[in-house]
Amino acid sequence: MSQPIVVTVAKDLEDLVPTFMKNRGKELETLRTALAAGDFDQMRQLGHRMKGVGNSYGFEKVSLLGKQVEDGAKAGDKDALGACLAEYADYLARVQIVYE
Amino acid sequence: MSSLAAGRTANAAQAAFRVLVVDDDPDMAGFLARLLVKQGMQADIVSDGFAALKQIAASPPDMVLLDVQMPGPDGFEICRRLKGSDTTALVPVVLVTALEDHDSRVRGIEAGADDFLSKPVRREELVARVQTLRRLHETRKELEGRRLEAEVREKEAIRKTFSRYLSPRLAERVLSSPHGEDLFRDLSDRTAVVALFADLRGFTRLSETVPVSSIVPMLNEFFTVLTGAAHENEGTVFSMAGDSMLIGFNVPVAQADAAARALNTGRSLIQRFAPVAARWRKEHGLSTGVGVGIEAGEAVAGNVGAPSFMSYTIIGDPVNVAARLMQRAAPNEILIGPGAARALGTALGGAGNLERRKVELKGKAEPVEVVLLKVVAA
Repeated sequence: MSQPIVVTVAKDLEDLVPTFMKNRGKELETLRTALAAGDFDQMRQLGHRMKGVGNSYGFEKVSLLGKQVEDGAKAGDKDALGACLAEYADYLARVQIVYE
Repeated sequence: MSSLAAGRTANAAQAAFRVLVVDDDPDMAGFLARLLVKQGMQADIVSDGFAALKQIAASPPDMVLLDVQMPGPDGFEICRRLKGSDTTALVPVVLVTALEDHDSRVRGIEAGADDFLSKPVRREELVARVQTLRRLHETRKELEGRRLEAEVREKEAIRKTFSRYLSPRLAERVLSSPHGEDLFRDLSDRTAVVALFADLRGFTRLSETVPVSSIVPMLNEFFTVLTGAAHENEGTVFSMAGDSMLIGFNVPVAQADAAARALNTGRSLIQRFAPVAARWRKEHGLSTGVGVGIEAGEAVAGNVGAPSFMSYTIIGDPVNVAARLMQRAAPNEILIGPGAARALGTALGGAGNLERRKVELKGKAEPVEVVLLKVVAA
């Protein structure tokens, strides 16, 4: 089994994080559908959103992946986008949250 | 603590600082709102441009945190509209943009944004920027409040000054017109006026006969009647001295029918005083009445006196002539000088009880032709 990825989140955001994580799962599915359809504009917008919101909560990796999705969508690079989404899925599966 | 700071503290105690968060990403909006609430502020969230404009119009917030890309009008458009409206121009707007998005920042500055917040948002940066803008906004509001208070105080002082001279209705009209109070600030120009002097006939005997303690209330009653007649015709009461009063027309506000107003005032004050005279006759056995002189011409209007005691008045030949005509008028008579008679023109023809005569007036080389009007005091 893969190693968990521990992310520390501010205690005062604890009640917001379950919804945040649920929305990331939905986001991944929407990105997959958009990639299959070649909808790069939607992928660019979603990547832009991930970039802004991820590290605001403390999920730096979400912001980094968001930037890659945004750049890949702008370039229309399906292979790079596919790799990004796989990495995003792996991250969401492994992330463990600690509140401080 | 400065008085401004004290004012801010008091205000803060009264109502929370209200921030509107506009973002179509519910996670980002929830995050921003959470941090604001932790700072003791009230945060409301809307998720598109139309909802933002509607909410702001219904209840302008104290600050807006604005995402750029969202459904409906985008952040730049909303910012432009807020800054272009008198009611919201002073509400601070913070655009929430990606740090590397320089183009958005330039467009935001052009749209009038007060500050920017970088995404991803660092809470220290959010708190610092929002608190700084809050202080600036509250200081600005406090200063604006003080400026308005001072303006109200100044207007009230001018209103009091006005009401010494003008009818309440005219004073209100002058003050409600743009720069109306300026009429009283700079009045040293020669201007066409109609001057009316009125005095109490029989006052000398009255003051010899009636107990001193009764004289002042009686004079007050007399002047109240005269002032009522003056205000009814929107005349300006310039002075009350002894038992006489000077009323002006066409000053400080232009009155095309100034001479007719003066004549009506003369008639009205004689008629209004008649019942008072009848009562005084009954109570004290004395005959009294009002003598009136009216003349029109050019005079100087202005504040005259020493710095510690100024009085708004009119000075000039028509004022002098009106005073001398008043001295010549018997009780219930109006003596109209040649200038006022010309101004009245045909209006005088219908007045009835008219008599034209030449009178000699002190300071005039030639006899002056005047019109005598006897008023029947019912």
